Amino acid sequence: MSGPATRPVGWLRAVAGTVSMRAVASAVAMRAAAVLLGAGSLVWAALPAVHRGWSGFALVLAIAGVAAGGLRLALAAVPVPEDSYWPSPGLRVWRAFLEVVRQVPWEEGAVIGIVWLEVLHPSRPWHTAVLGAGLIAYLLITHLAESDAPLATLRPQARVLGLGAALLALGAGAGMLPAAGAGAGSALLRLVAAGALIVAAGLVLPYVARRLPRWGAGDSGGIYNRRQGTTQRRAGPDG
Amino acid sequence: MIPNGPGSSATTELELRWRSSRHARRLLTLGLAGLFFAVVARRPEFAGLAAPALLLLAAGRARRRPPRITVRAEPTTRRAFEGERLAVDVALDMTGAGDADGEYSVRWRLHPGVEIAPVGPTAADGRQARFVVSPERWGRRQIGTLEVTLRDRWRLAEGHASMTLPRIDCYPAPAPQRTTVVLRRLPNRLGEHPARTSGEGIEFSGVREYVPGDRQRSINWAASTRRGRLQVNTFAAERSQDVVLLVDSTSDVGEPGSSALDLALRGAGAAARAYLEARDRVGVITYQWSGATWLAPALGRRQVYRIIDSMLASDAGYARGASFSRLPRAALPPGALVVVFSPLLDQRFVEALRDMRERGFSLLVVDVLNTEPPARRRPEDRMARRIWRMEQEAIRFSLRELGVPVVHWNGEESLDLPLAAHTRRPMAARR
Repeated sequence: MSGPATRPVGWLRAVAGTVSMRAVASAVAMRAAAVLLGAGSLVWAALPAVHRGWSGFALVLAIAGVAAGGLRLALAAVPVPEDSYWPSPGLRVWRAFLEVVRQVPWEEGAVIGIVWLEVLHPSRPWHTAVLGAGLIAYLLITHLAESDAPLATLRPQARVLGLGAALLALGAGAGMLPAAGAGAGSALLRLVAAGALIVAAGLVLPYVARRLPRWGAGDSGGIYNRRQGTTQRRAGPDG
Repeated sequence: MIPNGPGSSATTELELRWRSSRHARRLLTLGLAGLFFAVVARRPEFAGLAAPALLLLAAGRARRRPPRITVRAEPTTRRAFEGERLAVDVALDMTGAGDADGEYSVRWRLHPGVEIAPVGPTAADGRQARFVVSPERWGRRQIGTLEVTLRDRWRLAEGHASMTLPRIDCYPAPAPQRTTVVLRRLPNRLGEHPARTSGEGIEFSGVREYVPGDRQRSINWAASTRRGRLQVNTFAAERSQDVVLLVDSTSDVGEPGSSALDLALRGAGAAARAYLEARDRVGVITYQWSGATWLAPALGRRQVYRIIDSMLASDAGYARGASFSRLPRAALPPGALVVVFSPLLDQRFVEALRDMRERGFSLLVVDVLNTEPPARRRPEDRMARRIWRMEQEAIRFSLRELGVPVVHWNGEESLDLPLAAHTRRPMAARR
């Protein structure tokens, strides 16, 4: 800078240098976790391989969804080239590629493909429950990675996620119940019963959970407040 | 420090466009897919697979969302030199939007404007944020566009808004220049340049015989002893000069960032600073499309910014026959030193320089042409290039023949180097 000094720039440099290695490492880890969760869910649902019910198409859909979703997260920070009057073919291809990668809902395709692959296997309720947990984790981590949000962002949702896990286990338990008899009517009845149970639990559990104490929330039932109250009593004028 | 303009903050009320987030759409896909396969395959475990996603969607069901927000964007300065850093402080006010408990998280994203380079991250979280940018080229520049995204606690809905950040005036970064060209004949005005006439300066000029009225402290006792009569020291008078910077903005050729106009503006800025620091009166004439704009010579540090503002306010382009003979005396005082920054590509500008020289002005031309026609293989092209070079050399030769020194400056080195031959001794003001 050869111009006259207009402002002490030291503090600005300090502000500018805030892109720390820790933040970069955190962002990379979040993206890697999202890709690994997607790939793990895919492998979990696809193995052992089956060859019926358009399984090949579902597998391709799921692989493309997970891979392109990971690519979208990896290229999230890459800026779109500025529009010019006569862009080169390479620039136009690059712009179109970025647009496709960013606009297509890859994760939705991946989820449909993975669930489809799981359906093609014979009934294994515990396996589906684990897959459900993996898919929810995949979607949550993908959202955190794309919005550069920390893991603590999910803290307000922890209780609902716990309830969701309970419903997931309930669904798996319902799937493991032996059928009353052979035939389609019995299976349908089992499904309706499980659905009703899940809906009933979904309606009741939030009211039960609201009465549970919060950890470290600073409300009247917290440990922190109880300790603070003790300290105040000791320091009071009465001794 | 560049004087800052008043009222540098901009408070804007923005309307939010709410829509469901990608996260919500993905959860909905998972939920619907689970329910669909549960019914089709008659397997209740898939209803359980759909349950967490649907529960999350139900928990974050639509509630009243703020329709608008108030954003305050405040650049730390409205004027900066090229390459200098400036910060933009942005703050969100949601007190009127009913968000007392901080339910919404805020994400800022800066899209820098043309020739504005971000320094550091372009995205930030929180109600307040600071972005650091650096203008890369002179001109009146838009800092950029600020995008605000509000997300609810469940991350299921997103409110988007964007605002245009204020403009800044980016000044050309003056080149380094410490020395100045001084005329031999200076006007009778107090300054800092030693003149040929004796006066009350501090630079020793000679010894003469004492006459009644001389100050006793100026007696040179050694010389008086030698000669047997009282001798006194004489000193050179200190005078200032009028300097007029003549900037040719008709041709802007060369690579952006080091074009002829870039160099002319940086050189003129450097000369303005150097001469004003030497207590000279400095003015500017900008030769441009619609004629010539001018600023009368004046003193003081603020004159640097007035000069740069005057140059930036002019239009670049082909001059439709501007004539310096019509300029008022205030713009071009007689006896002024005229420092010209030009690529000497416009023949009429060169004619105007010759006319000025014939009217007795002392001119010094700084040639800022930094490019040549492209080298091609065809013989006709090579011939044209050669003829063009010869024409350019002829123009410079004709000016030198008239007593107008022409020095070339490439914009990278200090201006002191090409001017060294003329700053070592006073420049003859021939008429």
